[in-house]
Amino acid sequence: MKKKALLAVAVSAAMAASLPVSALAAEGSLPRNETLYFSGQQWGTVNDYNPMSPNSNNAMVIAANDAARTLVYETLYMWNPLNSQLYPLLAAPDSQPEWDENQANLTVTLNPDAKWSDGTQVTAADVVATVKAHMDYETSAGADMKNYIESAEAIDDTTVVFHAVLNEEGKAVNPLMLMSYMPKLYIMQEAYLNTVAERNNGSAEDIKLDRMEDLVASGPYKPYIANDQQVVLERDDNYWGQAESMWGSLPAPKYIAHTIFKDNAAGDTAFKQGEVDVSQQFTTDIQKYWEEQGLPISTYLLEPPYGICMTMPTMVFNTEIPGLDQVAVRKAIAMATDYDQIIASAMSGQSPSFADVPRSIMNPTDGEQAMVDNDALADLQWANKDVEGAIAVLDEAGIVDSDGDGIREYNGENLSFKAECPQGWTDWNAALEIVAQAGKDIGINIETYFPDASTYTDDYSTGKFDIVCASGPGSSIANPWQRAMWFMSSTYNTLSVNFSGNFGHFTNERADELLALIPYESDEATLKEYYTELSKIMLEEVPCAALMYRPQVFHAVNESVWTGYPMDGDGTDIPPMDCTDGYGIAALYNLVNVE
Amino acid sequence: MKNTIKQAFHSSKFVTGFVIFMFVLVTIFVYPLIVTRDPLEMVGQGNFFKPGTYVAVSDVVGTNSNYRLNVDTSAAKLETGLSVENRAMMADWLEKYGEVPASDIDVTDAESLVALWNEKYDPKTVIKGMTIAVRNQYMRLNNQIQHALKDSGVIIAEKNEETGELEEAKSYDGREFVNQGDLPNTQTFLLGTDNFGRDVLTELVAATKVSLGVGIIAGVIATIIGLILGLLAGYVGGFVDNLITFITNLFTVIPSFVLLILISYSVSESARGTTMVGILIGITAWPWTTRSVRSQVISLRNRDHVNLSKLSGHSMMRIVFTDILPYIASYVVMAFILQISSGILAEAQLSMLGLGPSTTTTATLGLMMNWATQYSAHTSGTWWAYFPVILVIALISFSLNLMNTGLDQIFNPQLRD
Repeated sequence: MKKKALLAVAVSAAMAASLPVSALAAEGSLPRNETLYFSGQQWGTVNDYNPMSPNSNNAMVIAANDAARTLVYETLYMWNPLNSQLYPLLAAPDSQPEWDENQANLTVTLNPDAKWSDGTQVTAADVVATVKAHMDYETSAGADMKNYIESAEAIDDTTVVFHAVLNEEGKAVNPLMLMSYMPKLYIMQEAYLNTVAERNNGSAEDIKLDRMEDLVASGPYKPYIANDQQVVLERDDNYWGQAESMWGSLPAPKYIAHTIFKDNAAGDTAFKQGEVDVSQQFTTDIQKYWEEQGLPISTYLLEPPYGICMTMPTMVFNTEIPGLDQVAVRKAIAMATDYDQIIASAMSGQSPSFADVPRSIMNPTDGEQAMVDNDALADLQWANKDVEGAIAVLDEAGIVDSDGDGIREYNGENLSFKAECPQGWTDWNAALEIVAQAGKDIGINIETYFPDASTYTDDYSTGKFDIVCASGPGSSIANPWQRAMWFMSSTYNTLSVNFSGNFGHFTNERADELLALIPYESDEATLKEYYTELSKIMLEEVPCAALMYRPQVFHAVNESVWTGYPMDGDGTDIPPMDCTDGYGIAALYNLVNVE
Repeated sequence: MKNTIKQAFHSSKFVTGFVIFMFVLVTIFVYPLIVTRDPLEMVGQGNFFKPGTYVAVSDVVGTNSNYRLNVDTSAAKLETGLSVENRAMMADWLEKYGEVPASDIDVTDAESLVALWNEKYDPKTVIKGMTIAVRNQYMRLNNQIQHALKDSGVIIAEKNEETGELEEAKSYDGREFVNQGDLPNTQTFLLGTDNFGRDVLTELVAATKVSLGVGIIAGVIATIIGLILGLLAGYVGGFVDNLITFITNLFTVIPSFVLLILISYSVSESARGTTMVGILIGITAWPWTTRSVRSQVISLRNRDHVNLSKLSGHSMMRIVFTDILPYIASYVVMAFILQISSGILAEAQLSMLGLGPSTTTTATLGLMMNWATQYSAHTSGTWWAYFPVILVIALISFSLNLMNTGLDQIFNPQLRD
């Protein structure tokens, strides 16, 4: 009997031991010093490689945002939020997109060295085919693009012209938005698009759902492994970018890998142990990693806020809800909130304070701050946690507690709101708890509500919320205009499903006028005037209030294996964008192994 | 009754459990009398301040008390600045990057080591191949050394309101001390602060009170429901028994915690106060009390004294209350104790999932754990944010379980010595 038991123990031990061994074998096939590991980007298994897909879950390959991730697919230009410049990628060296005199057509010249992974040249026809595919198949990008781009035309192999949708005056309806596609649109190969169309019999629905595992792209990496454990990209050693006209060399890591972690905590643990090199995760008290634990971990800035903040998580008030339709109520909540506490505790000090960077439409980067007149807004700013001021505002508006239950009423109804953001978004969760505390201080009942992410998305995009925490556009060529739209444009109010902004359906005629003027304005002084006026409206009417500043992507590195990451004052202008996004990808060419 | 209680206090297990429990109980009632701070007040501006006493810097500078002590403060400063590890690091740097032969470096001679360091080290030089992290580490080390070497003291300057220039107001060397008692602003956080900057000890005491309350509400409800159904099923028997057993089995098969999650999820947060959470836990935790009470009652039902009562024509209520209940009372008390203990645990589990009471209205042990985990206190080494909570939960359930086993030893004839 005893022997049997022993055997059972031995067998189960062997089985238990065999599991990690096989996992190790899979990981062991990637040489550690040739692999750059990431965390905080990919959650769940990769489902496709299709830039036209409506439900792609492949963060390392497809992230076509304002500073697109160009590891596999490439864009015409790369965006650098540090200096607000476009850097050519597929476009010709030292070139910039050029408008004709009427601002109706935008010309881009391509780099003749640019090649696809099958060795053929990237031509203007490919750009045209990409635009056409998005429009014809009505992808979500295409639907948006149609508002600004009429068509694209190939003049010769390396010259492509984007014809803008024109307004009555014969100018582009929105030159800024057209420009914003330059660092955002993944260029696909015409021949490959034809192959995909053929095998799906031209059905738009099927083409959009094609997994495109046999993709042809122009970037430095190609898909290698993708399963429920990890995603790995392998370097394409024939990558065209090693031409002198582009990078002049191959990126240093042979493999780009992202383990699929269960949650932030798992990713953090791996990062701490040096199993992850670049972490795109919010880490509480990150300075403790180097100050107290002596780990080889660092951030772009040596001192708080440690990263470059470019976005503002904002509480958006639903201006159609009784109570919140009153400026006094919105303003009182915004005034009573303890932002310093949010920044110090919820954000762990990784954000400048509102005393350092006063509230406006602008993010804290120098480039944007130069576009607003903060002195003109000084009188409209409110002090941190101004509970007395908030109470005075409410009392003055006649919104008082008349039935003595401690909660103020508006039209006889208790003011009671839900503040919503997804479960597990730790810093936002904590920030809303502090907003709820503010409500308690001024006699407004605010309860926090943390549903799963999809419920949250559904709620804010269809206006089914009271107060919601959301984050607007960060840094891009179309900003701060796009962010101002996101804060206040009533053009989104008629959409039944709205992901574009102004979720609270705020309406202000003057704001709409200004927002319509900005895209055509190029005079900096006038722009500054417009933006200052918009900020004024925002501070007076409080359709929303920024809770903190936050980096567009978190960027912390562990130098156990690799070093040479960008850092403040290193003499390069490479932004801390996880070595993958926009011009941040330039970092990959500077990495070296730690000796 | 008196005798039973006396007996209970002869059991060492019961006494130990009772003492621990009373200690917790006394603490949660006495502590708030001494420390009157609102447990939810966010005192600290930042995450996880470490335990200790905090002194206002301006007080230290502004105090007029002048105590000169003949204590060499620079030695302690030098000791932290030039610890063995730091010396090893300095030697390492000098050898690798300062091109000093190893034989010339003497880590035991602090003075010459520092002199050598100051001569060779320049924070501005960029060394190829050195990681940012290591570079920063040396920069911090250099700052530490320079601070340790400083014995010139500190000069306090005040701004002249007319000229706008800084003028020397006071100067201190390393031997001036202040008496902590003279400082008007000191704050002691025995267990530091949490992620919101709340005083952990005060919050912990308040949370223990609330969690105990939840446990007691849950325990009372679960025990009452369990007792009534168990008595009915056991004594009445027949169809009633079958029906109750059927329902009980149904609830036993569905894990009660899953049920609890589902119900809690459907109740809005504002309604989910501590009482509500207690009630929710209570109405999902009764089945095993019912089962065991029922089996106890069945074995009692056909005892002679019960039959005698029946023959005497006593009502069912009277029989149940005078002939059956006293016999299982000890058992019910023990079940009640265990229900409290599991009620506290259930609250902690619920709050960990974000389904407990709301953070802004109350502190509970589960909520404290929840936020500590969310702000990764376990990876950043801030033990004070979660370990005391675990300890309190463990202490409470341990003491209740000890009391339970102690009682069991007395009441259960099979275990009696």
